[in-house]
Amino acid sequence: MQNIGGILLEPVGCLAEFPAGPFHEIAARLLSRKGELSNSGSRSYWQLLELVDEFAPQPTVEALEIEAVNAAGVYEDIVPALAELKAMGVHLSIASSLSGAAITRFLEKHSLGEFFAGVWNRDNAGGVKEVPLVGALRDASLPPENVIFLTDAVEGIKVARNAGVHPVLMMNDPDEARRLAMHKPAGGVVSLHEMPDFIRLITAQNERVNRVDG
Amino acid sequence: MKKISIYKPSIVDEAIQILSQHGASASVYAGGTDLLIRLKNRLHQAPSYLVDIKKIDHLRYIKEDAQGGIEIGAATKLAELADSRLLQEKYPMLVEAINKISSPELRNASTLGGDLLQEVWCQYLRGGYSCWRNGGYLCYGAIGDNSYYHSAMGGRLCYAVYPGDAATALIPFDARAKLATPQGVKELSIEQLVPGDLLVDGRIQSHVVRFNEILTSVLIPPPKPGVRASFEKLRPRGVWDFAMASLAISLQLRDKTIDDARVVFGGIAGRPWRETSVETFLKGKTLSTELGEQAISVALANAAPLKYNATKIDMAKGLLASGLARLNA
Repeated sequence: MQNIGGILLEPVGCLAEFPAGPFHEIAARLLSRKGELSNSGSRSYWQLLELVDEFAPQPTVEALEIEAVNAAGVYEDIVPALAELKAMGVHLSIASSLSGAAITRFLEKHSLGEFFAGVWNRDNAGGVKEVPLVGALRDASLPPENVIFLTDAVEGIKVARNAGVHPVLMMNDPDEARRLAMHKPAGGVVSLHEMPDFIRLITAQNERVNRVDG
Repeated sequence: MKKISIYKPSIVDEAIQILSQHGASASVYAGGTDLLIRLKNRLHQAPSYLVDIKKIDHLRYIKEDAQGGIEIGAATKLAELADSRLLQEKYPMLVEAINKISSPELRNASTLGGDLLQEVWCQYLRGGYSCWRNGGYLCYGAIGDNSYYHSAMGGRLCYAVYPGDAATALIPFDARAKLATPQGVKELSIEQLVPGDLLVDGRIQSHVVRFNEILTSVLIPPPKPGVRASFEKLRPRGVWDFAMASLAISLQLRDKTIDDARVVFGGIAGRPWRETSVETFLKGKTLSTELGEQAISVALANAAPLKYNATKIDMAKGLLASGLARLNA
């Protein structure tokens, strides 16, 4: 893997644990879809994105997303991890299929805005799934091979590949992560606090290879 | 198995030159009971150049120094340590620990240096998975079967436990290690030698020895007066297996009063886990039958077990109670 200059983050599942209920409700309202409620907010979110290619602005949908944001529990180690990554010079961008209002609310609620050089959502990117990633990449002016997308879902792995960046697993749940590892992500971390070391190791490995080749 | 080349230097400086020349593609080869297995496992990280140090003089010895301490050459076989009357007389706990490493056959081949610097035995690494130590960027142990070979005290990218028993047993004696380096001799404590998952020369390893450095000897200070020590190891079988949990405990006693303590757990973390909270708790206490239960209550408060290895913490605490009971007997 090439040296990593940027990380794209989808808050759902990577920065916070989101509840499944609001996403399930959005699917029910948009698509009349009823079914068992998943116990994973991330899975409900990504399954919704698989079903809906675009979200026309709808107050009820945005209200449900805000409800999900308000109920989301931020992972406890993300602030020191984001601070360390920023201090290392890593370009951090939000790249999310949530609405602009939901992302703004999320960042304000948890005082995370200072860490992100770019904030891309479905509204300013003009689409979902890989569209915000492509917008974030262009904004960062980084080659895709130097960028990671953190995800805890198989759909996220596909989205990363469609955008040309490296999918790296956020291995929140070991059983789910074991299943996702079969989709051959570029790597995985058990927590965001491992990302600085992840990046340092890749840099050190590449330096060693360059020394040998040189 | 990949093609390998073997060098047989006759002096340490020559070995260092060869290691420097080939970089991370070369590795020191002594007993081979870890290194050759890595080659047979076809691990991505296995070296292509082996620097056989067995012909180098003055790396295989056990001798007493002028102060009454012991110096052990890094290429000394574990069986020689186990049979040493000098070690049995001065550090019986160390001999107890050495006798619990692997099997008699392997102890005939394995060296002290090899035990200290061995690679982890995570089944995913050894099974060729592309993990952090084998060309990949993910720890399969963190998400898979981590009941045996993985840390219950957290990790750093790699969650495999440090498997060596010798380090666990040497730390209570404040033992030190000597390294030969291109810049001269370096000396450090055993804790500094194996601090856990580190990025060294562009790869993750449990020890600090760089690609062109050689561990040459281990120094053990003279035994302190009034020291009683114990080593116990829990493992699935009574031979060969690595520790699921182990404990090396040393108490410096004045009658039954504990003046100083060293408590080091093995098999539960990416390094020998020195539990200073228990050491602090024990200092000044009186050795008694109740002390074990009290010590357990302050032990391993920062445990961070993975999905399947919380038992390691229970085992470790059990060993603490058992170790204190042994020393009280």
